Amino acid sequence: MNQSVIAFDHVWKKYPLLKDRPGFKEFFVNFHKSFKKRREGNNYFYALKDLTLKIQRGGCVGVIGKNGAGKSTFLSLMLGTILPSRGTVMVKDRVTPLLELGAGFHPDLTGRENVVLNGVLLGLTKEDVLRKMPSIIDFSEIEDFADVPVRTYSSGMYLRLAFSVAIHTDPEIFIIDEVLSVGDEGFQKKSRDAILRLIKSGVTTVLVSHNLQVIEELCTRALWLDHGEVVAEGEPGMVIEKYREEIIAPRQKTSL
Amino acid sequence: MDLLWLLTRKEITLQYKRTSLGILWSLLNPLLLALIYYIAFIVILKIPKKDFPLFLLAALFPWTWFANSVNASTVSMIANRSLIKKFPFPKHFLLTAGVFSQGVHFLLSLPIIAVLIYFYGKTAHAVWLLAIPLLLFIQFIMTIGVSLAVSVINVYFMDFQFIVAFLLNMFFWMTPILYQLDTIPDPYRFLSLYINPLTPLMSSWRELFMSNKIHWNWMIIAFLSSLVVFFAGLIIFRRLSSRLDEVL
Repeated sequence: MNQSVIAFDHVWKKYPLLKDRPGFKEFFVNFHKSFKKRREGNNYFYALKDLTLKIQRGGCVGVIGKNGAGKSTFLSLMLGTILPSRGTVMVKDRVTPLLELGAGFHPDLTGRENVVLNGVLLGLTKEDVLRKMPSIIDFSEIEDFADVPVRTYSSGMYLRLAFSVAIHTDPEIFIIDEVLSVGDEGFQKKSRDAILRLIKSGVTTVLVSHNLQVIEELCTRALWLDHGEVVAEGEPGMVIEKYREEIIAPRQKTSL
Repeated sequence: MDLLWLLTRKEITLQYKRTSLGILWSLLNPLLLALIYYIAFIVILKIPKKDFPLFLLAALFPWTWFANSVNASTVSMIANRSLIKKFPFPKHFLLTAGVFSQGVHFLLSLPIIAVLIYFYGKTAHAVWLLAIPLLLFIQFIMTIGVSLAVSVINVYFMDFQFIVAFLLNMFFWMTPILYQLDTIPDPYRFLSLYINPLTPLMSSWRELFMSNKIHWNWMIIAFLSSLVVFFAGLIIFRRLSSRLDEVL
């Protein structure tokens, strides 16, 4: 149980500051300058700075921090859609993302077709998805619309279907970015219960949320990121208290 | 593997999704094209070469497969940005799926060539069974090589898509499609054959459909140059795609 399934070892992630995309013209005009610039090397933005941490199997880690603190970069590195600029990221189990719901949906494909495509993108085989289709459709409550193109869906239906696919992919590591409030109140409760069931069943979960209460309820550990660095980590109650003191309290003062 | 198949099918079905004729367009498009060329060259220009439509289409259809694939690949990374950013899967699947789906359209246009062959009193030949898979393979390798390169370069330099459009046009006229390889004057003929990998490939297709022969010389040149193109594309793709997430 205490085996670490995710390990970040001195991970840095930098992005070039794209003020304006250099085209061919600029490339040739500034050819001599481009070498100089590269040497100066200060045109970068560091999204993560020297991050080292391990996550044990079966834990639920809540990540908090201001906008632009590096939370999403952290998730994407785990997911493997981006590579670290320096350092290594080791992930042992299959990662299922619940990031932008419905990002992989194509508006002209039907609900069912999108479910298959999405399920396979999330790492299932086609047979797996087809086997689970009835319960995916059932959970999303869109029975009557399963065979029409998703462009005709309401945004709620769209999100419910996307959530339903992700939750049915037998996740081993589940990463969730601020998507606990999907659909109407009934569905919100249902989706939160489903996530809770997953966490209790021992699925490793990494959860990014601005809803501190949710983190405190669900997580066994919390991580506070700021400007790409870890400010505090450990028991959720303690981390959240620190966070409240430093971030939220001063803001309220200034607004008064 | 499931994913590659699904992406290919998605490409094919989406192209004609909201049309009433559906996949029939894959047959109708080249047919209409054939008609235009027939009118232009036989009726209006009165070219003496009677089987010119067959001559032309035997090279034009494979060229269309190549050109459409490369065009689609150029914008493929940007068009599928949301998939790339949200799901971890091999990015080259998007290109492979594109080349496959264009290949299906190409295969669907082959019956038109078969009809023309019968129309001009020729017949198909058993050699097709060997030659067509070989040529499909060679052309796939070559096309995917070019696709790999242009897809990543275009993410860094968006101007590139216009350059690709121009280059495709240029190569269309540099490759013996509207004319025969023999019509190129002597020193340039060899240059075209050895420098432009599309020359031996398109000439091989035409040789097969026009005279039921495998021109082994051209075929081997096409194969070797397709390997060069493929590995060059792969190297460019490898080098540029590791930093792709930073600019996409």
